[in-house]
Amino acid sequence: MKKKKVWRTVQPYVWLLPSILLMAVFILLPIMEVFRSAFSEISKAGINKGFAGFDNFRKVLKSSAFSLVLKNTVVWTVAVVGLSTLFGFILALVLNNEFRGRKVARAIVVFPWATSLIIQAGVWKFIIDTDYGALNTLLQKLGLITKAVNWTPTPGAYFAWECWVGIFVTVPFVTFCVLSGLQSIDAALYESATVDGAGYWQKLFNITVPLVKPSLTVCTVLNIIYVFNSFPIVWTITKGDPANRTDTLVTYLYKLAFYNGKSGQAAAVSVIGFLILLFCASLYMISVLRKEGKDE
Amino acid sequence: MKKKLLVAASVAMMAASIPAACQAAEKVDLNVIAAQYGQNTAEWWANFVTEFNAANEGINLNVEVVSWNDIYTVVNTRIQNGEAPDILNIDVFADYQADGLLLPAKDYVSEETYAKMYESFLAQSDIDGTVWAIPDLASARAMYYNADILEAAGVQPPTTWEELKAACEAIKAYDDTIYPWGIDMTTDEGQAAFAYYTWNNGGGFVDENGDWALNSPENVEAVQFAIDLVNAGYTNSDPANDTRYDLQDMFGAGKIAMVIAPNSLPTYIAEGGYEVNYGVASIPCNKGESVSAGVMDRFMCFDNGYTDEELAAVKTFFDYFYEDERYSDWVLMEGFLPATVAGGEAIAAADESMAAWVDIVGSSKFYPTAKAEWADVKQGVIDVEQNALLGEDIQTLLDDLQAEIAG
Repeated sequence: MKKKKVWRTVQPYVWLLPSILLMAVFILLPIMEVFRSAFSEISKAGINKGFAGFDNFRKVLKSSAFSLVLKNTVVWTVAVVGLSTLFGFILALVLNNEFRGRKVARAIVVFPWATSLIIQAGVWKFIIDTDYGALNTLLQKLGLITKAVNWTPTPGAYFAWECWVGIFVTVPFVTFCVLSGLQSIDAALYESATVDGAGYWQKLFNITVPLVKPSLTVCTVLNIIYVFNSFPIVWTITKGDPANRTDTLVTYLYKLAFYNGKSGQAAAVSVIGFLILLFCASLYMISVLRKEGKDE
Repeated sequence: MKKKLLVAASVAMMAASIPAACQAAEKVDLNVIAAQYGQNTAEWWANFVTEFNAANEGINLNVEVVSWNDIYTVVNTRIQNGEAPDILNIDVFADYQADGLLLPAKDYVSEETYAKMYESFLAQSDIDGTVWAIPDLASARAMYYNADILEAAGVQPPTTWEELKAACEAIKAYDDTIYPWGIDMTTDEGQAAFAYYTWNNGGGFVDENGDWALNSPENVEAVQFAIDLVNAGYTNSDPANDTRYDLQDMFGAGKIAMVIAPNSLPTYIAEGGYEVNYGVASIPCNKGESVSAGVMDRFMCFDNGYTDEELAAVKTFFDYFYEDERYSDWVLMEGFLPATVAGGEAIAAADESMAAWVDIVGSSKFYPTAKAEWADVKQGVIDVEQNALLGEDIQTLLDDLQAEIAG
């Protein structure tokens, strides 16, 4: 009898053990290794020369490129997550309506999401290229322009295109998150609101938005993490050039590690990025826990 | 009893001798990591390994061919795990030497093979009087021009900067959809542009004493000249993002009239399906004689605490690799240039068009890769070029870089 009781207490932990082990090996250990590298002096050949205190962080923060890269990362994350959330939400509202070919439309929306990011970025790089780009060719064939237009005359223009590609590939994820939320809303709510004389906007802001909010929040937090850490788009289109003007933290640390052989500083940038994301995720967790506390 | 003891002793001796016999039959493992130069590299090495192992029964050669994108990470990871390769084929060596990981070249290359190398090439791997790596191949750069475009524009291939500007002007006047001149200032190879212009203006990365001299007046003038070409609209529209391969494609398509490129350009454009009536000339210069930029890759041997037998196996490997006929085959495999005197003679004799290139590479200047700060300088000059493209002051940028590197 006693044995059974002990087993019942231990059993959940036994089932959890494989997951805990997996997380420890594939998540915790690499994170610890990055922290160890960030506080170590690593030679260009990759040899750990011992504890370096905050030296790597000091060097990173002192570099003129870092503040520029940090600003780019914030702009990149806010623009891509913000605009893709807005566009994704609108698209989900459209796709939630009954219309002919809705299934096909939904399938088409998935395409950008289902294709590899490198391919997407490569295709867009080809489209906007001044010399052999598809956009210039198309506009010339349509007779709208006579001479090739330089679509990327400044680093800012390049960065705007990169943000656009980021939005293009993120919208489907938002759309499907919101769509799943929309489909769980009871139609009776809209019917009774209509009977009470509520208009389209009133129904949208008082029924749809509050009820879709939980799925939208999860989707936004996940997007912040994905977009903040996104590498392929910026790397494929500009490699962060010219002179770090289009670099984000991830492409910058990649260059530090694999082009300049500064693994310690790259790890320090990685730790800074990790802490920023941890802060954002904590804000979300705190707000969720507070809400749960209120609900109870 | 005595007889029994004798028999027992004999049996024991025989038993003891078995492991020794087995050890004698054991092969020496030789692990090589080699860079993948192109599509033919992996196959070439696979054939080499088969032939080498058949010819050297006591050695078990294993060659791992790794792409340029991954090779630095792969090697560093192996070093961190205490599994450094015995021999490495890569471009840089100074970082490994700085950590005391390498053996001096004379320790692992036989005198006969060592004597085959161009002296000027060996000097590129010399740190404090010791040569740490040996060259495996080289490539050199020169100016390619589209002969049809130049003829139509009524200009000769330029030899000086003044002539270059005049040629650009004439080509632009002939057809303003053609870029007269190609410039690559990207993260991929922006340091090459810095070399082309500074070396041909009496400047460069280092002074005559071998000390960093990045902000010399010659360098400031040279970078300014290149930026002025861009600002005047004589070049491709996006030098910070158009890589050498983009420029080569545009040259092949007749979109660029003149470009500085390696000796492998004709193969590249032919494989791309382009047909261009091209000519080759020296890189235009402003002061002194035209200087070509050479690029050289190396073999190095990691100090893995070898026995005499193992070190002999390494020497055997290099003797076999640099055997004249086999070495010529290696160099021609991806269209490169040789690093040995005999290889140069063989290739020049076999192909007349290569003879000029063999001369060019023999007199080329090389990046100062033996200096420990090279990786920072390389990234630094690229940043200078890209910031200059955005309108920043070149003198200030180079002063800052010099201060950062030389202190």
